[in-house]
This record gives sequence, structure tokens and C-alpha cells, in this order.
Amino acid sequence: MLSYALRRIAMMIPILLGISVISFSIMYVAPGQPAVMNLDPEISFADRAKQIEALGLNEPAPVQYVKWLGNLLRGNLGTSFSRRVPVTTMIGERLPNTLLLMVTAALLALLISVPIGVLSARKQYTPIDYSVTIGAFLGLATPNFWLGLMLIMVFSVQLGWTPVGGVATLGAGFSVLDRLQHLILPAFVLASAEMAGLTRYTRSSMLEVLHQDYIRTARAKGLPERTVIYKHGLRNGLIPIVTIVGLMLPTFVGGAVITEQLFSWPGIGKLFIEAVFERDYPVIMGITMLGALLTVIGNLAADLLYAMVDPRIEY
Amino acid sequence: MRIQNTGLSIAAVASVLLALAGCDGSGGDGAAAASAKPASSEPRYGGRVIIGAFAEPVSSNDLFASDAYSRELAALVFTRLMRMNERLEMEPELAEAPPDVSADGKVFTYHLHHGVKFHDGVELTARDVVFTYRIFKHPDYTGPRASQFSALSDVEAVDDYTVRFTLSEPDARFPANVRYGILPKHLLDKVPVASLGDDRDFNDHPIGAGPFKLVDWTHGQTLTLEANPDYFGGRPYLDGVIYRFIANQSAGVLLLQTGEVDYLLSLPESEAQTVGEMPHVTLLGTLQHGYVYIGWNLRNPLFADKRVRQALAHAVDRQEFVDTILAGHGRVADSPASPVVDWAYPDDLPTFPYDPARAKALLAEAGWSPGPDGVLRKDGRRFSFMLLTNDGNEVRRDLGVIVQQQLAKVGVEVKPAQMEWGAFLDRVQPPRSDFDALILGWNLGNAVDPSNWHSREIAQGLNYGGFSNARVDELVDRSIREVDRTERAATIKEIYRIVADEQPDLFVYNPEKLAALRSDVRGFVLHPRDYIYAPEKWWLDR
Repeated sequence: MLSYALRRIAMMIPILLGISVISFSIMYVAPGQPAVMNLDPEISFADRAKQIEALGLNEPAPVQYVKWLGNLLRGNLGTSFSRRVPVTTMIGERLPNTLLLMVTAALLALLISVPIGVLSARKQYTPIDYSVTIGAFLGLATPNFWLGLMLIMVFSVQLGWTPVGGVATLGAGFSVLDRLQHLILPAFVLASAEMAGLTRYTRSSMLEVLHQDYIRTARAKGLPERTVIYKHGLRNGLIPIVTIVGLMLPTFVGGAVITEQLFSWPGIGKLFIEAVFERDYPVIMGITMLGALLTVIGNLAADLLYAMVDPRIEY
Repeated sequence: MRIQNTGLSIAAVASVLLALAGCDGSGGDGAAAASAKPASSEPRYGGRVIIGAFAEPVSSNDLFASDAYSRELAALVFTRLMRMNERLEMEPELAEAPPDVSADGKVFTYHLHHGVKFHDGVELTARDVVFTYRIFKHPDYTGPRASQFSALSDVEAVDDYTVRFTLSEPDARFPANVRYGILPKHLLDKVPVASLGDDRDFNDHPIGAGPFKLVDWTHGQTLTLEANPDYFGGRPYLDGVIYRFIANQSAGVLLLQTGEVDYLLSLPESEAQTVGEMPHVTLLGTLQHGYVYIGWNLRNPLFADKRVRQALAHAVDRQEFVDTILAGHGRVADSPASPVVDWAYPDDLPTFPYDPARAKALLAEAGWSPGPDGVLRKDGRRFSFMLLTNDGNEVRRDLGVIVQQQLAKVGVEVKPAQMEWGAFLDRVQPPRSDFDALILGWNLGNAVDPSNWHSREIAQGLNYGGFSNARVDELVDRSIREVDRTERAATIKEIYRIVADEQPDLFVYNPEKLAALRSDVRGFVLHPRDYIYAPEKWWLDR
């Protein structure tokens, strides 16, 4: 197991390297120049050229890549072109917000979807099951941003229960309740992207398990239905879910871009959008690599967890 | 000669133009300021205004930033020799009076207010002014503004309260350039010029002598300023101003509705009606210092003939566009002259009102005749072109479609298209200049300056269409040297008259600038260029 994990970790290096080359190339091939300065006629071409040179943008792309990689190995992600701030600082300021959002969303998705999925499996082909199925498909079909806007309209504007956006009330001191009020809608919207799928996976996994012989045996032994379902059934039924949860991480990174934008949530997703519009290469690369790293770690964690929860799997 | 200080500032910045047009309430004609309501009582001290901003300033140090938000933030924290008032004229701020100018127009002497204090209590003197303006001339300065001061040969302190700027040659645009926040020499003297722009210790916690002190900047979230009780212009009425950074415009409108934001900087036309219906909010509008236009690529033979360009202007009903799409909140433009600046606005411009019959006649005169498909032809070539603009701007998208419909009536085929902003710029700017026609807007800058019509701006500059006219080149060069405003006004007006006649662009309209303000904020003036102007005079009637 340990050697497997180490091998997998070693494999991450070429994967991440590959991702960096591809991302860097796409970024350079894409039309548009870094907005090192606003398009302002009071700024002359000479001023602009001087700045471009100072940023090293006049060098060939491969040279820029090698320099960037060299800095990366020293833990330096470079300095934002447009904000003149180290990328590590910018990400560091915003990453906690994004992680908070992602972890909350993951918990919400699990706490809501798994019980519903189990319920749906137990009541297969009943009105409850059909409602859950319809609900799940509706959830899959609903765009995140639309759901977010509707929730804001209902809960923030009509009912006034939650704020329209941001992480905390302006000027108010720290309060857990206040933070939760700000967190709940964006976390739910981010979770909703995963909930539908997760419900369906739980349902089918549970259905499969519930038809196994050992469930029949458990029932035959006269065990209470709760024990049968939650002890014998769910434990086995959750095995594939572990993989799904591991794969949720990259989806969350992507989903956060939209959700953060919608709720003015000051995380890396919002930063990423701004960086893309400004062609702020160091910031784009920094966040892309962070996303890539989270993705490979998520995959690895899923594989390792898989072996832990399922004794039949050994590495 | 290098291109300097061309006086226009792009409005093409998509975010700015998202906010075009449409407004309600007090948008008068001309450069009028828009006060929310008549004050019900004398100004009162106290309270805070929360500003909803869709972008974050890059830096409080606007010597190193090029965005409007940074400029506005710098004006809160720092004091400037001169400021541009709502009539777009320079008026004294730190200077006691307008400068003494030498007869040859090369020496400008400013006398400073006495007893002005930085936020840390140290007195601001001529040394700080000299320190600040010498940064622009330093070889390590990589900020965006060096060219604005290319004519500046020396700046020196005559005494503690007198600063003398000496130019190597007369530059009529210079007086508008002394608008940068004065930095404290005693704190920054030891910082290398190359590091000043990246000096987050100072730029996030700046010490200026302006009306407000920056007390907290949580990047991506909020920026908090508190009144400077010792401000030399008098303590601001407000206790503070807080910026709240908002990711998108619909969230901004909702925050305004729920009262979480008092003042929303820039408003898209599509939200104007919603905001106008909010009982506690006043919608403000004033004509912007800028215009929106359709630019012809004059390298394309389709647009080579002046009669064709004039015909195209006759064929587009701009008044109808302003009345319908902009709901009347804008003004038809005939030239690049800004209606906000009276002294440089020619009143005898050639105009091309909507007249399809005249358009057809001009096109026929230029040798274009209808082909079998109804589209005009000349020498086997169809009159068909692509009209390109940036995406995310509904007004420009609509303009493209309307132009398509209206030009079809005179036999011209238009294919409107939109591109992402960065890709769009890459394509239309030199060296590619790969477009037939484009829709773009300009926010005119600090000084009135028609330099972008000079042919030297074609290869490296903002003359995207490639307009070249020897007389205009000569007049532009002259306008830069003319220090006397009457003479300069005559020169500039002549340039605008020629440009209006030549129609290198189809000037469509001067947009109105929109903002939404809580009705109990008083003492507020909507500036044609800046969203935050004279905030020390704002007060709350609560």
C-alpha cells in the first residue's frame, strides 16, 4: 500500500509537468495580449513596451516557460502582471475562502444525497423513488448560475434571510452565524452540481447491495431493518461513492469559478476569471496548477480510500 | 517623435461601456452635475457610505496603475496639485491657485497651501512634490506615465511652498498632467524607484495628505477609508467610505435594493429601470466625456471614398437609436468633440442627418450600383463587410444589428460579429488591423487632445482605422504647442471640423454615464469622468 502510494505520488510529477506545458501553450496560443496596462491613449507605446520588457514578455514562449518552471521549483509562482503582487500571496489570501466553500459543499452534498439515495433504493418504484429520480434529473438539468440567481432572488431579496453575497457582513465583528448565513447559499449551489449524480449513484449502488445474499441472510436472521440497511447495506453500498467523492474535488474547483462569481465570494475562482480576462499569465498558471494538483490528489485519495473501505482491493 | 499623452482614454474597456446609456432623473444636457435632491438641511457630520464597485483598484499609487479605480482611490488618499472639476477644467487643490506660466509656455510655477499634513503628521512641502514628479523621469520607472512627462526637463523646489516645472518644449497638455497624488518623501525616499510599484507595504497602507485615510484593504472583498480630521480642505462630513467589491452587476443592483450598498459605481442600461423604481435610490446620469463610434478600416477599398463614408452616415438613423435602445439617454454625435468641454466644441460642424435617399445618391455618385441580389456592386465587388465588436456589451450588439438593418435599405450588406475583448483588441490593433469595420467607444481623457487623429498614430497608436490627413497632422502638432487657449481652441475645432467632414468613423452618440445613489446621500456630484469626485463634500441626511 505504501509503495503504491509512493509510486502514485511519483507519477504525479510527470502528470503535473504535462499539464503545465499544455496549459502554458494554450494560454500563449490564445488570442489577446496580457493587459499590462489599460488601453489608455495617455499611455504611449513606449511606456507599454518598457513594461512588457520588464515583465519578460518579449522573450520567446519556451524561455518564459522554463523561467516560470524554474521559479515554480523554488516555490515562486511569479508576480501578477496587472496587480504587481506575488501570485502565492494572491492565492494565499483567497484559497481559505474557496476551501471553506468546497468543504461545506462536499459535506452538504453527502449529507443530503446519501440519505436520499438510500431512501430511494429502499422504496424502489414507489412515488418517493420516482420523485427523487425526477428531482435528480431536474437538478442535473438546472444550470448552476440560474439556480444561484433564483436562490438569491427568493432568500436574499424576497425573504431577506441571507445576504446577497460576500463572506461576512461589512463592519460587523466575526460571528459564526453571520458567516454561515453568507456561506449557505453558495455552498448549496456548488453542492447541487454534485447532489443529483451522487443521489443516483447511491441509489443504484444500494439497489445492487440490497439484492445480495448477505442482505437476505441478515434479514433471515431477524435483524431489524435499520441494521440491515445501514450496517450491512450502506457500508458496502458506499464503496463506489468514495470514488465519486474523490472525483468531486475537480468539479468543485471548476464549479467554484461560477459560484464565486455569482455570490461575489472572494475565492480563487473569482480571481481566476479576472486573470483570464486580463491575460494575467502568472495568475492563470498558478491557479491552473493548483487545480491540477487538487485533482491528482483527489484521485489518489479516492484510490487509497477505496482500498481502505474495501478489503477485497489491495495494491 | 514619440506618441505621448494623446488625451483620449479608451472607453472601449468593456466594463466601462457595459455601463453605457440609459438613465433617469437628473441627467441634464451638457456636463451637468447631478445632485440627488435639493438638500433638506445643512450638511451634517457622521456616517459612512458603502460604495459598490465592480472592480478593485490595482493600487493606491496611481503613478504605477492605469485603471480609473486606482485613480479615484488615489484621489481619496492623496492630495494633488490640481484636480479636474466637473466641467473638466483643472482647478487648484494642493496648489493655492492656477500656476504662473512663463511667456514661452515652458515654465509652470505652483504655490502650495501652507500647513498641509500627511496622515502621519509630517508636513507636506515642495520637496514631496518634487520627489513625486521626479519618479516619472527616473530611468527605473516602468509605470505607465513616463511619456506624459517626456517634455518635462526639470522639477525643483524654489522654497518650501513653491514648485517649478520646466519643460524642454511647450506642451499644451502639461497642465492637465499635474494630477498625481503627492507621495511622502520621508517614507519612500529609501525605496528604489523600480520597487515602488510593487511596494505593497506602502501601497496597501498608504500615507497621503488627502481627505481620507486608508485603514484596511482586504483584497477581493473590502477597502475601508476613514475621514482625515486634519485634511487641509476641511474635515470630510462622512466618517468613512467603504468599498465593497462585487463580482457582477446583478448582484450590485440587489445589494443596492437590500440597502447593503449606498452607491453603485456604473450601471448597465438594462438595470436602469429597476433602479429607478427603488424608492430609496436616485438614478443619476450625466453626459460622458466620450463617444461611441463605428470605425471604418480605411485600408479597405470599400471605405476609401469620402462620399461613401458620408453616405453610410446618412443611412444610419442615430437619433432613433438613441431614442429607442438608449431610451433617450445619450446624444447623437457628429464628431469626436466632447460636448462636455464647451471651449473646444465647434458649433458649425458638418452633419449627416438620417437621409437614405441622400445616402443612395452619394453611393451612386461614388460608382456603386445595385447588383442582382440587391447589394451594391462596383467593378465586380459587392458592398459587404463584417462589423466587429466585443462581446458582453448589449448596446453595441444592438447597434450592430440596427446598422445591419438600416444599411440593407441602401444596398449595403453588414455582417455583425462579436469577439471576446482581448481577442478583439488583438485583431483590430496594429500590427494586425484585421477588420472591415468595428464598434468601439472612447472615454476621453484628461486633456482635450486630438492626437489620435495624427497619422503617426497609425503604426503604433490608436488611429486604428488608418486615417491620414496632412492638414490634420499639421494642426495636431500645432495644438500641442499652443499654450494660449483661444488659439488652441480654434486649432482643435478645425481638426474636429475636418474629421467630421471626412467621416473616418461614423460617430454615433455621446453616452450618458449612469450611477445609482441612495437618496439620503447629499452633496454628491456626478463627474463626467470619475465616479468618485469630491467625496469630502458628501454627507448623509439620515
